[in-house]
Amino acid sequence: MPKATVVVPAYNVAGTIAETLRSLLRQTLRDSEIIVVDDGSKDNTLEIVASFDDPRLRVVRQANRGLAGAHNTGIAHAASAIIGFCDADDLWEPQKLERHVEHLEANPDVGISFSGSRLIDAKGRPTGLVQRPRLKGITAAHILKRNPIGNGSAAVMRKVALDAMAWRPLHEHERDWWFDETFRQTDDVEGWLRFALTTDWRIEGIPGLLTLYRINPGGLSANVERQYQTWERMVTKLSAIAPDFMERHLPAARAYQLRYLCRRAIAARDASLSLALSRRWLSSSWRPLLEEPVKSLSTLGAAALLSALGDASYRRSEDLLLSARRRFL
Amino acid sequence: MPTTIAHLIDDSSPGGVNRVLDHLLSSPMLGRIGQHEIVRVKRGRLSTPSVQADIIVSHLSVCWRNLPLLVGLRGRYADRPLIHVEHSYSQGFVAANVAKRARFHSLLRTSYSLFDKVVAVSEGQAAWMELRGLVPAGRLVTIPPCVDLAPFLRVPSKQSDTTRVFGALGRFDRQKGFDILIKAFRDARLEDAELHLIGDGPELARLRELADGDPRICFRPFTDEPAAAIASLDLVAMPSRWEPYGLVALETLAAARPLLCATRDGLGDHLRSGAFGVGGGSVSDWARALEAAQRRDWSFTLRRGRQAALQAEQRFAHRWRTLIEEHRRTTGERSAA
Repeated sequence: MPKATVVVPAYNVAGTIAETLRSLLRQTLRDSEIIVVDDGSKDNTLEIVASFDDPRLRVVRQANRGLAGAHNTGIAHAASAIIGFCDADDLWEPQKLERHVEHLEANPDVGISFSGSRLIDAKGRPTGLVQRPRLKGITAAHILKRNPIGNGSAAVMRKVALDAMAWRPLHEHERDWWFDETFRQTDDVEGWLRFALTTDWRIEGIPGLLTLYRINPGGLSANVERQYQTWERMVTKLSAIAPDFMERHLPAARAYQLRYLCRRAIAARDASLSLALSRRWLSSSWRPLLEEPVKSLSTLGAAALLSALGDASYRRSEDLLLSARRRFL
Repeated sequence: MPTTIAHLIDDSSPGGVNRVLDHLLSSPMLGRIGQHEIVRVKRGRLSTPSVQADIIVSHLSVCWRNLPLLVGLRGRYADRPLIHVEHSYSQGFVAANVAKRARFHSLLRTSYSLFDKVVAVSEGQAAWMELRGLVPAGRLVTIPPCVDLAPFLRVPSKQSDTTRVFGALGRFDRQKGFDILIKAFRDARLEDAELHLIGDGPELARLRELADGDPRICFRPFTDEPAAAIASLDLVAMPSRWEPYGLVALETLAAARPLLCATRDGLGDHLRSGAFGVGGGSVSDWARALEAAQRRDWSFTLRRGRQAALQAEQRFAHRWRTLIEEHRRTTGERSAA
């Protein structure tokens, strides 16, 4: 049994998966298996994976089920007691797996170990932006508001801990679900939050920026409303499971979620949407302003600037933006 | 001279504990192995009660306030076997109620280490204790509780195989998840169905609000005849958010009524006795399960449930007898030394 399994969900990722797999095969922890779950790709993803000749690598194919469905299939096939997720366009620093395995082995109460990330662009170049989340004392409220786990390639988990949130929906005949496949977005946050609300395992981060997380520009603002609807559906689902918790934390969490979407609208240069979202998050709760004043004010300022100057002038004021952009992306 | 066994309970022990103790005291199978007595202890008291019995069984709630009492018991009765039965805690309990989890796990580890044996009330609870290293190796035993099942075993089998009256019974408390059940019932596509909620408790007003005057949902008062209550239902649902064991599940199986239950904690134990498990715990998981339950043919699983209930009575007596006998021997060895 290998020490750890890395699950790589892959859907039409011919352009990036080779680099991802090279980063996983270069890990300092050699005793691992890498499971690529091909989620019904229509490009030549499979050929590229097949060109790797390494006994640690194997492919599981399935008809398209989405990211949660690929993660679930990967967990179901994993041979190890420790499982990490790495999206097929992200990269891992060579020490990542080793560091998380050490963390989990030294802390038997930790169920999910994660770390911060550097953001890279479509060509794999560093953008200078980082995700440096809170690492300790993580509660369900932190996940609902700010999701410290951050992205889909940050977490390395203990299998027995994951199993505490597994179930088999009535219509499912192949394997269990750990993540809810009815969510095509927000599926990771739904999973982490349900994990925090229904199990007693600790979620904890380790220092270091061990994931290179790729940001893809374009198409950002088109999804904003749909993403918000999905987030609200997650809230409705988990409100039934933990009503007291949601009642207490929802207004602030909703404001944080709308602020996050507002930043995405700004990044996509959608002035009217970013203004509308600014108004909505302020009407939900002022807590983000109190808890994170710099980030909140710079988001509001950028939204105002964008709508005052228009796209062209806004783009010209790159120097001005750079400092703000580091904060709001 | 027969072995004497003192059962310690405090005022905050859950209601089911008293029923299980009644059964322990009145069971002819257990009466033969020793003389049981009940010692009531005020929660949080610092002085240890005076106990003459050969073996001491704690049904006390483990909490910071009771820790001095537990430590005192170990000190004062260092020569007597000390057994603790964990009626209250489970993974689901900690997840839903405890903010400082590491601290709480420490409380449990410290408290359990004071006892010669810790009794888990279900396989699910025992698996959690073992996985999280809460009980020192070799000191954990599992004895699912039991009550007098005779009134439930006498409930006539269902006359028709239709599932029309869905029901749930117990304390109206957030733990029981009846709010999820009401939402799911209203969301499900069911034919000619009713939902009966039998009990009382702090959630009553909120549950009524959720029912929103739906004429198919009725609230029935608490009854001290649970067998008759279960007999009036076509199916019993247990959507509990946490449940170390779940006596209602056992009673439902004994009464040969279909049982839908959450799969968490101790409720998972009932699946092999014919209960239909509802994983996930969301409203839609429960709505789909209610629909499936109405279409399902239950006749085979109901027979299995009744057999399992009969075995549960024997298992309860047998495991307690084994545990007491094992410690009676160590008492003998200690006094001989």
